[in-house]
Amino acid sequence: MSRNVSGQAYALTVLTPITDGHQQALTDHLNALGEGDASPLARVPGTHIARWVVIDDLKFQGHGQRHHDKLSAPRLLFSSNFDGDLDGYLEGLRTGMAEDADAIWGHCRDYPGHENSGAFRAYMRAYQLEAALFFAAYGDQTVGEVKANVAQRRRLIDFALEGQGLDAATLKSRFLETF
Amino acid sequence: MANVEGRATAITVLTPVKPLGRFVLPIVFWIGRHVSATLKKLQMLSFIHFARWIVIPSFPGGEKPRYRYLFFESNFNGLWDQYIDAFSEVVPERMRGIWGTSYGFPGPIPVEPFKRYIRANEYVANHYWSAYPGATTTEIIASQRVVAALEDLRNRADGMSPEEFHREYQRMLWSVQGDL
Repeated sequence: MSRNVSGQAYALTVLTPITDGHQQALTDHLNALGEGDASPLARVPGTHIARWVVIDDLKFQGHGQRHHDKLSAPRLLFSSNFDGDLDGYLEGLRTGMAEDADAIWGHCRDYPGHENSGAFRAYMRAYQLEAALFFAAYGDQTVGEVKANVAQRRRLIDFALEGQGLDAATLKSRFLETF
Repeated sequence: MANVEGRATAITVLTPVKPLGRFVLPIVFWIGRHVSATLKKLQMLSFIHFARWIVIPSFPGGEKPRYRYLFFESNFNGLWDQYIDAFSEVVPERMRGIWGTSYGFPGPIPVEPFKRYIRANEYVANHYWSAYPGATTTEIIASQRVVAALEDLRNRADGMSPEEFHREYQRMLWSVQGDL
């Protein structure tokens, strides 16, 4: 089994080189993306939690580290924790984000655009990193299941409070109506 | 702050690895993948949604730095300080195993130098998104147990008299009270 997989959850990590002179524009664009439902990630099916991070350069520690590595170009990290298989997700990323994908990865070298499915998938796979260890606390649950279960639990809490003191027949009929 | 989305917080860390890490880290992570106690310990830190470690000998596209790099990301609920405190207290030996071959790692205890080390090597997210920003890890795991008990009762309820249902309903609430 892939090291990127835990249960049915998949850890995608993509590190693409940013085109010369584009770092600031990309940073500004990412910083200005909408939150919540306004985020382009809200349109990518199966995404639990994801991020973009501009990595401007590598850190230097001292402490016996003699050489300071420098990146040949700053990198854009995209990491996502999602449901199911990689190719299905990349297709959802391509079609769900569409032009919003181009507005981000268009600042990266060799990005082919979102219109060609095969080229988009090949690009993401070419810059993908494999996890050494992936931990998912609830890797058996899809996004839909997580949301439905959380909502159902909250419904039960409300029901338990409202149901106090009801006679048995009313309690049963209300339960069957609610759940 | 882009490292926070609702109740979820992001950490992204990249550290240079000493030459010894080339041999040590594959063993450390092999144990992590194959010895269930490692992931169970992380499960005990019940506020982590997802976490990953990656060893990078060369960056995709063929760029090879002089050192290997250790990438770490976590998605957790709660405060950054509490998270690092918990790592330091609950799994210090695993922290030593994982970051012990990174340059400058001060050890997980005492926690303040460890925090400074993580801060110094952290990258702030430019955009961070969660499908369920209001839900904590504990709540998600508890909800799964609650729903299983609820569905079990729902499946049996039709054939019960109201009195029987009332008893079973109380029993169900009792069984999941720790998860509510």
